[in-house]
Amino acid sequence: MDALRFIGKRLLLMIPILIGISILTFAISNTIPGDPARLILGPKATPEGLEALREDMGLNDPLYVQYGNYMAGIFQGDLGKSTYSQRPVVEDLLRYSPATFELTMFAMFITLVVGIPFGVISASRKDRIADQFTRVFALIGVAMPAFWLGLLLLLFFYLKLGVLPGSGRLDGGMSPPEYITGMYTIDALLTGNWPVLYAAVMHMILPGITLAAVTVGMITRMTRSSMLTVLQSDYIRTAFAKGAPENRVLYGHALRNGIMPVITLLGMAFGHALGGSVLVEAVFSWPGLGQYAVNAINYLDFPAVMGVTLLIAVMFIIVNLIVDTLYFFIDPRLKHN
Amino acid sequence: MALLEVSNLKQHFTTKKGFLGEKTIVKAVDGVSITIEEGKTLGVVGESGCGKSSLGRSILRLVEPTEGSIKFEGEEIVGMSAKRLKELRKEMQIVFQDPYASLNPRRTVRQILEAPLIIHGVGDKRERKELIENLSGKIGLRKEQLSNYPHEFSGGQRQRIGIARALALNPKLIIADEPVSALDVSVQSQVLNLMLELQQEMNLSYMFISHDLSVVQHISDKVAVMYLGKVVEIADVGKVYDTPMHPYTQALLSALPVPDPTRIRSRIILQGDLPSPSNPPSGCTFHTRCPMATKECAEIVPPLEEKAPGHFAACIHV
Amino acid sequence: MLLDVKNMSLSLKRAGKYSPILEDLSFQVKQGETLGIVGESGCGKSMTALSLMQLLPDKARLTGEVDLQGELISVYSKRRLEKIRGNQMSMIFQDPLTSLNPLQTIGTQIEESLILHTKKSKEERRSRVLQLLKAVGLPRAEELIDEYPHQLSGGMRQRVMIAIAMACEPQLLICDEPTTALDVTIQAQILELMNEIKQQTNMGIIMITHDMGVVAEVCDRVLVMYAGKIVEEAPVIELFQNPKHPYTQGLLASIPKLGERKKKLGSILGTVPTPGSMPVGCRFADRCPHVMDVCRNVTPAMIRIKEDHQTACWLYDEKEGTANGSAGSKQLETAFHH
Repeated sequence: MDALRFIGKRLLLMIPILIGISILTFAISNTIPGDPARLILGPKATPEGLEALREDMGLNDPLYVQYGNYMAGIFQGDLGKSTYSQRPVVEDLLRYSPATFELTMFAMFITLVVGIPFGVISASRKDRIADQFTRVFALIGVAMPAFWLGLLLLLFFYLKLGVLPGSGRLDGGMSPPEYITGMYTIDALLTGNWPVLYAAVMHMILPGITLAAVTVGMITRMTRSSMLTVLQSDYIRTAFAKGAPENRVLYGHALRNGIMPVITLLGMAFGHALGGSVLVEAVFSWPGLGQYAVNAINYLDFPAVMGVTLLIAVMFIIVNLIVDTLYFFIDPRLKHN
Repeated sequence: MALLEVSNLKQHFTTKKGFLGEKTIVKAVDGVSITIEEGKTLGVVGESGCGKSSLGRSILRLVEPTEGSIKFEGEEIVGMSAKRLKELRKEMQIVFQDPYASLNPRRTVRQILEAPLIIHGVGDKRERKELIENLSGKIGLRKEQLSNYPHEFSGGQRQRIGIARALALNPKLIIADEPVSALDVSVQSQVLNLMLELQQEMNLSYMFISHDLSVVQHISDKVAVMYLGKVVEIADVGKVYDTPMHPYTQALLSALPVPDPTRIRSRIILQGDLPSPSNPPSGCTFHTRCPMATKECAEIVPPLEEKAPGHFAACIHV
Repeated sequence: MLLDVKNMSLSLKRAGKYSPILEDLSFQVKQGETLGIVGESGCGKSMTALSLMQLLPDKARLTGEVDLQGELISVYSKRRLEKIRGNQMSMIFQDPLTSLNPLQTIGTQIEESLILHTKKSKEERRSRVLQLLKAVGLPRAEELIDEYPHQLSGGMRQRVMIAIAMACEPQLLICDEPTTALDVTIQAQILELMNEIKQQTNMGIIMITHDMGVVAEVCDRVLVMYAGKIVEEAPVIELFQNPKHPYTQGLLASIPKLGERKKKLGSILGTVPTPGSMPVGCRFADRCPHVMDVCRNVTPAMIRIKEDHQTACWLYDEKEGTANGSAGSKQLETAFHH
């Protein structure tokens, strides 16, 4: 009951946030110099043709009217038509976003299974070799630009060793699995299409690692520092005073407390990975939202840019809602206050 | 005329839980009336959450009081203009519990002591120098030590610097909020001795706020005992300590561990915990823990009445 | 003898070098006895407790012998110590607000000691936890067992800490300032509870405190510590009535007493020396009103003034209360009152 109320409140809070984001993006994309109509019709367009198209696209209306029309559309599930692809933006988003979402989730998976254990080990072996190693590793992850790491990985594992594929989501000539979620691994799993599942996973490894490098670094460092603080606390001393062995103290008492700030950071890391996917998708020719957004910006395709921005914002907010709800279940102090 | 006359002072805080949470009102100070005579010390004693610190802060208008009147030398402080308040602050100073947190770590002691003088435009440079050196002598600091920083001093010395800063403007009243609670006993005694000496020398008045019954007893002329935002007993120190009237005062005194192993005591052990100030019990707020409580106590809010000459208590059974 | 400590010393590594924290502590605790350890901040009383429990930071050097019921636990391995802690020897800490794990229920935290040290079944553990909660005077044990620390007040949390410490019926209970963080009326409740426990069991208790009032109320015998050393040891009444070491005298003179109002208090000038820069000879010499040449050069040994009263001060001889040097002990007592 408490949890439902909590989630309900959070969902209500989403509305003003989303309105704010939509106003902001709408304002920004409309102040960018350039004329979409001219871009569509090309250099040989006649002034009359331009004017007609502008009128048709609603570009001559005052900004607030354009915004109003846009918002009215959103509530009917209409994000407008992409001026570049000539398809409804919703359709484009459904086509491209599963690829990005799949890649991001994979990167977050790597972040979790690598970052947290590394941080815990690092903290429990403070200043010893394992700690020094993890700290350097985490620092490299945070400091290395994604595109550079991506290129290095491609060079080594694809060009030199040839053990992993270099681009795209599937091997050449392979047809995607039946569309259920749009995420190839999941769709392949659901339909029992094992060759495609294998190929999809193999294709995700390099871009996944590239995307996760920064977030693994972030999470490792956060886990380490949070665990160090927790290990200094009085209740850890109490646990030792009861006669609990080190591992029991570490995993039974310290980890659950130490993980709390890490969970908050995970939400941020997800946002970071979503944003980072633009670069990574370019390096690995990954047909996702990032690629789509870059194209949309190049062609001043405002409806598409707006659509991508709103979608990313919604995903980010939802992930953070999940994170907060998780927090709510882990920390009893939130439940009673 | 009393130097400070506080009547029916209320300090309510509104707290809201979260963005869409419900509002709760905490009555930190709930209708307190006290007076402080010139050259005398009023001790304010009570346990955590009794509102003793809030009382001190709202008297200085460091927080705006919700209701009531505070008269300093007959002049009303509540609603006073900011300009006049600044002038009046020269006369009323505060000393905090944690001397380290309340001294700027990047300033030398000389700068710390000079700051209030500059703010209130006292003297020229040379006069101020003389004043500060005179002041540091009073608190037992050598002239050379004036150019040191707070971290170079021990806790006791820092508290003496805090007192010197409060004294810089030659005030009439000092509100000391747990001034010795962070100090070891041997150092605490030095600070208490200093405060007593200064009081005699400069005819200072103190409002001495503390949870420590023996310290309050040692320094005060008059003592007010607080419980959940209200004064439950107020009288001369001898009356409060030797013939306590309110059951809470009696319990508090009997609970105090006395450094005398031969003493045989009959202790009143109060049951239960201090109620939360945000949700105080009805009627007499002490009735939930009071060994003398009857049915009426849960209904009647007992007024603070003069039960014996000069001895006020808020209890319907006294 | 329950606990026998011989020549215990502790150094901690700070800024690359070891500095002495405790030096040459020797003392004993009998069964059913409460030994007080008093002193001001920085005297090493808490470190003494942590050294007995061997709950020290990684870079600590602990020497000397600690004998608990005939077992020389100072040479025990980590594994063997874990069997002792919380079982034969327990500890209660100063701050009940931070000493309990905020994410575990009260029941789970008390039960952990039972899981670690007994072979009780789940049902047996639960009934033992309920029994413990009732024994430490907590109401509605059945509900409390599933509640979290933040739902409890400071006094209740300290009762939970006591329940944890008592879970396996230890022989020795070490209390480090157990009531310092509590309000006076709550402190009285906890001291009352500790006295009850003391009467019901035959435990030895070490009570670490800075509060002479608490010492007077609960202790049988007292050690006074100063700058990492024991300076005086005596039964509690003897200590208050006939303090010998100038530090003990100074300490007692500086406490405000009920009934003495606006009187000038005694005090000890100067500050405690820091672990890195301990003076040669007596560590109290710089603050002592009776300092002699010998004090600054040679460390005074513990000498027996009476059967059960010892002090480390050059003012005294091995005989009954005889004073050395110019100052007699009568003069000494008045010296602190100016």
